[in-house]
Amino acid sequence: MDFHRSLIIVLALAVLPLSAALAAGVSGRVVGADGKGIADAVVFVDAAPESAAARSPATATMDQINKTFVPHVLPVVVGTEVRFPNRDQISHHVYSFSRTKNFELPLYKGENAPPVLFDKPGVVKIGCNIHDWMSAVILVVPTPHFAVTDAEGHFKLAGLPPGNYRLLAWHEQSREKTADTAQRVQVAGSDLELTFQLSLSDDRSRPAMRGSRWDQ
Amino acid sequence: MSAGSTAVYSLLFICLCCVLAPRALAQYDVEPENPVWLRALLDLRVVRGGAAPSWTDSGPGKTRFGGRNTDAGFERVTRFALGQLAIEMGAALPWGLRAQVQFNIQPDIADDYDPWVVEALVRKEWGNPSDGWGVQTGLMTLPFSLEHTGPAWTPEYSISASALNSWLWEEVSLTGLEGEWWHQGESGPRIGIVVGAGYGADQMGRLIASRGWALGDGVSGVNADLPLPNGTRMDIFNEKDHRPAVYTWLTLGDEARAALKLGYLDNLGDQGYDGVWHTRVATVGATLHPLTRTDFVVQYLRGKALVWQPTNDSSLRGFYALVSHHYRGHRVTVRYDDFRVHDLDGGNPTAESGDAVTLAYLYEWGLRHRVGAEYIWLHSNRPASAFPEPGQDGWQLSYRFRY
Repeated sequence: MDFHRSLIIVLALAVLPLSAALAAGVSGRVVGADGKGIADAVVFVDAAPESAAARSPATATMDQINKTFVPHVLPVVVGTEVRFPNRDQISHHVYSFSRTKNFELPLYKGENAPPVLFDKPGVVKIGCNIHDWMSAVILVVPTPHFAVTDAEGHFKLAGLPPGNYRLLAWHEQSREKTADTAQRVQVAGSDLELTFQLSLSDDRSRPAMRGSRWDQ
Repeated sequence: MSAGSTAVYSLLFICLCCVLAPRALAQYDVEPENPVWLRALLDLRVVRGGAAPSWTDSGPGKTRFGGRNTDAGFERVTRFALGQLAIEMGAALPWGLRAQVQFNIQPDIADDYDPWVVEALVRKEWGNPSDGWGVQTGLMTLPFSLEHTGPAWTPEYSISASALNSWLWEEVSLTGLEGEWWHQGESGPRIGIVVGAGYGADQMGRLIASRGWALGDGVSGVNADLPLPNGTRMDIFNEKDHRPAVYTWLTLGDEARAALKLGYLDNLGDQGYDGVWHTRVATVGATLHPLTRTDFVVQYLRGKALVWQPTNDSSLRGFYALVSHHYRGHRVTVRYDDFRVHDLDGGNPTAESGDAVTLAYLYEWGLRHRVGAEYIWLHSNRPASAFPEPGQDGWQLSYRFRY
């Protein structure tokens, strides 16, 4: 009996370093060094049990409205087909030279551009060849478990099957390597609260040209 | 080469490779945005204009590329030409400022390969796409054209612009300050108001009075000079009275369906100064998109160009309407131009009446390539012209590469 109790304690101690808690879902915040929430960060599960990694083909949309990609950050799971409808009357020429996905949708208007398959995890920087300030990021993550933070930095990952997970936090301007943000959790029965801390670099995007001269 | 030199060159090569090599990125790293960028546009042509030499050769031809003068008279000629080499550079500066500059090389118009500085400005915007404002200062063109919306300010629907927009882009280059405010409600139209003032337009109107209307895609710059029929050239940037031209440009509508544009410019020229023109123009235009793949554009311009000496006072009027259909990379455009100059003072004859039809086909593929074909038929009655035939026509083929 003592042997069994000791074994359980030893096993529990062995698991503790890997799991902050046991939970049915994971929620929390992504904050900066000053404690303020960071919007548009993506928290995602990098490694999951086989049962939680299963996924069906997904689709997503990145619009072009008023010479702006909407949303600016779009997380998708590997294998997602993304559509790029152009809601502007002017033509856009969407492209990416990123190593994760290299593609282009030559000059077009409307919603007829073919979808683009994102089949490799990583970061895909999207641009418009006509309007060089238009940019967006598609974050292709390996599992269907991801969430984007709101204006206060809150996120919630719901519906995680029980198991061990590695969670990462990513932001377009993050100074930290994404791998360095990893936190391991074990999801079992109750909610889990996590906090990620990131420090952001200055926005280096190209200033926009939204005036009527550039109604093109 | 000595062993020491070899070592130095090897070291330099290694350093160069280190500088030029892209930084290694981890899987989820975002490629850094380059704060400085460079773009270029090269346009090569095969042209066969009318028999009369073009105005760009101080001839009476009304299109950019014309024929030649021989002992037997005017003669059509087919030739290769560099339509345009445009270099655009930009930089993201601190405080959200954006700087950009554009140089154009157009040897047939400039008569040499010197680059003309088309644009050199710094701009700052506040707000967002639906509500904001912006300020820019530096060297700029007028915002009045509904056609010069392609890369490097090239016409979007055809190779050559309409007569009225050709003139605006040939003869106006301003150095000054411009402000803009725009607003779009949740369901209402988008409103944009541009107000600007700039120096350098003291001779605006002289080209129309001396040469008349023409169709082309030349773009002037602050250091540009254009040929006149008498064999001389006129500087585009000309400031004698130190009074800036003022202009405003109003945009109202929903770009996705229809937009109305109104513009007004007064160069406030003081005719008390020798060679200063007082020119005012008003323009109204509309873009309509009743179908996803079809564009209708109409624009009307009316104005007066007055000068004390020599007697060239003129009123001018230009109109065009175009319909353009595009599908994937293909675009077909038909445009009708109507243009007039009325001689107001009975001095040097400046009167002209004419019209033109332009047919254009453009095909764009990939990020960088475009081919185009264009045919222009033009009819102009201009008593002062050295060319007795009112009818002119010509065609051109274009290959455009964009970096």
